[in-house]
Amino acid sequence: MKRRTVLQAGLAGAATLAMPHVSRAQTRKLSYLTWNIADQEQLFKEEFADFRKANPGVEIEWLDKKGTELPAFYQTQLAAGTPPDVVDLQGAIWVEYAANGALLDLTPYLKKEPEVAKLYNADYLASWQYQGKNYMLPFYIAKTLLYYNKTLFKEAGLSGPPQSFDELLGDAQKMAKGEKTGFLTLNFDWLYWPLFKMNGVELLTPDMKKAAFNTPEAAAVLERLAKATDGGAINKISWTGRWVEPNGAFAGNTVGMLHAHSSSYFFVKGQGSWINESTLGVTQAPGYWATPTNHGFGISKNTKNPDLAWAFIKHVTSTQWATRFSQSRKLLTGNVAADRAGLESLRKDDPLGAQVLQTQLEHTDKFTGNWPLPFDAQLKDAFYPEIQNAVLGRKTAKVALTDAERAVNRVLSRNI
Amino acid sequence: MAVASAVAHRPSRLTRKRTRQAVLIWCFLAPSLAIFLLYRIIPLLWNVVLSFSYWSPLRAMRWAGLDQYEDMVHDDVFWQSLWNTLIFIASAPVAIVIALGLALLVSSEIRGRDVYRTIIFISYPLMTVAVAIIWRWLFDERVGLINYVARSLHLVDQPIQFLNSFVWALPSVIVANIWQMLGFYMIVLLTGLQNIPPNLYEAAAIDGANAWRRFRRITLPLLKPSLFLCVVIGMLNSFTSFDLVYVMTGGGPGRATELLVTYIYKLGFSQTRFDYASAVTIVFFLLLVSIAWMANRLSGGEAGAVERD
Repeated sequence: MKRRTVLQAGLAGAATLAMPHVSRAQTRKLSYLTWNIADQEQLFKEEFADFRKANPGVEIEWLDKKGTELPAFYQTQLAAGTPPDVVDLQGAIWVEYAANGALLDLTPYLKKEPEVAKLYNADYLASWQYQGKNYMLPFYIAKTLLYYNKTLFKEAGLSGPPQSFDELLGDAQKMAKGEKTGFLTLNFDWLYWPLFKMNGVELLTPDMKKAAFNTPEAAAVLERLAKATDGGAINKISWTGRWVEPNGAFAGNTVGMLHAHSSSYFFVKGQGSWINESTLGVTQAPGYWATPTNHGFGISKNTKNPDLAWAFIKHVTSTQWATRFSQSRKLLTGNVAADRAGLESLRKDDPLGAQVLQTQLEHTDKFTGNWPLPFDAQLKDAFYPEIQNAVLGRKTAKVALTDAERAVNRVLSRNI
Repeated sequence: MAVASAVAHRPSRLTRKRTRQAVLIWCFLAPSLAIFLLYRIIPLLWNVVLSFSYWSPLRAMRWAGLDQYEDMVHDDVFWQSLWNTLIFIASAPVAIVIALGLALLVSSEIRGRDVYRTIIFISYPLMTVAVAIIWRWLFDERVGLINYVARSLHLVDQPIQFLNSFVWALPSVIVANIWQMLGFYMIVLLTGLQNIPPNLYEAAAIDGANAWRRFRRITLPLLKPSLFLCVVIGMLNSFTSFDLVYVMTGGGPGRATELLVTYIYKLGFSQTRFDYASAVTIVFFLLLVSIAWMANRLSGGEAGAVERD
């Protein structure tokens, strides 16, 4: 074989081997992890196609995980050093990732492009700030509100929803009869906290270094909740159920009030044939306090394409796509214009649903239960079981609060 | 002399054969050992290392000494979970006694015994998550069958909140666990019963032994290996009943049904405390080893031994 032939064959081989690397370099890849929203596949495909039009050569790898699976999955990815470029996180777990350097600080991007921040509801956007830095953009938003069964209210001789904690418990007691109970609350992710906040109870001291809830006022609130639970005014599922059970109980038409987020409406409506504008009322909880429970998009700090990831989250939260998402999923996205359009179309299709979503845009300055703490999950796990002990009559309010204080302070001292 | 010495040093045919056999055995064992090493031994050793460290997926590892174990001493939830786990384990013998009764019944000459055997066994192959969902529905206070029957028969005025009650939650989960394992125990015990030679019963009957004495003197002693197998598997199952508890109660209300295994999961994946979760896992592992060792001792210390010809 001639030397030239050998050389040519060698070069051809090397070129063949190098080809995938060359093409990989030209194809930029974005991995995108969402949380329990696989039903929006069609919409996402359109969004991706539109994004690729503006960013040729970008490959988007989308993965959706169910509610209980995502945190464990994402943590495993973090441990392996392979987190997705863009991640959808719910509730307060983003703080832990932000505080520990897993998420990219989006503040410089927001400062560079001030028109982007203006797209979103300022209060919701601010709820993703940790130590003055913004780590997420809103994907979809919700907060707690009070649903009330107008029929049961009427039967009990009540004219309208309660305006204070006293009225709330009093009204609940009036409706409690036989199988009927007066009040039900969701309890995960601090969704029950407005009940304490409306009574002036604080979880932590202002510097967030010590527990602040072990007070005579808090004990009185807890005692009243326990008494109301024991007497049937508050449905026990409030303290033991997760999501399906309390919403299902309210849909059963035997509970006077449901303290839950806007997402509950569509579940309850699906199960409760009794629900229409004349039977279901929606309002703010007394004192207008509400716990937000939002989904937002963050960018992994070790992404190879931070600018592309930023462009991608701007794209999926843009007015055009947020509007489509709001209309197809019947929810609010935090994008002001999109939510206005979404509400407009919902008013025609489902006026009651529109009323529910409207509450989510009111009193957004009165968020509670959303402390930006990197160890929020530990705090919840230390606090809530003691509250359960008290409201379900296993411990007195005073003992439960003392035990909770000890547990919460242990978490704080371990983490601060 | 030199020839004799060379012959003495040359491996004999028998030795070469044994070496070849040993190599072959190791070749066959190697894949299983590799998997065992990769998925059991290395994670276990990693757990030991983690239990003496501060570590999370987001933070570099730091030496913690005995801090995690010290934390455990002061951790009420750990003690509550340990206590619940021990109660859960203690329920295994109850299931075995019930299964023994059922095995005796379906081994007797009753009509349709094959149908009964199938009905009893059918719970075992079901997925644990499915079992948990079935029982969650049965125990439901609004639409649950148990409450419906109890109220229809006027046994209770108000529905019992089985899974939401501090008193009833753990027994309810245990009932579901027993129901699922019952079929397995019954089949093991039934096989044991069928291996007992019938002539022993005939001889005992001729000697005038009544049914109770025949059961005590023949059935129980000869059923010992099957019973031991049931006890060991029952305990291991109780230790790892994660999915059943997680789906039925999530460990609640409060910590009423929290087992060590559910607590470890929550510590790791809800609270991102993998280091502390590792320390609890080590205690959990030691407990498991101790109980398996005790069970082995009680059965005569030969469980798992290879019989030689």
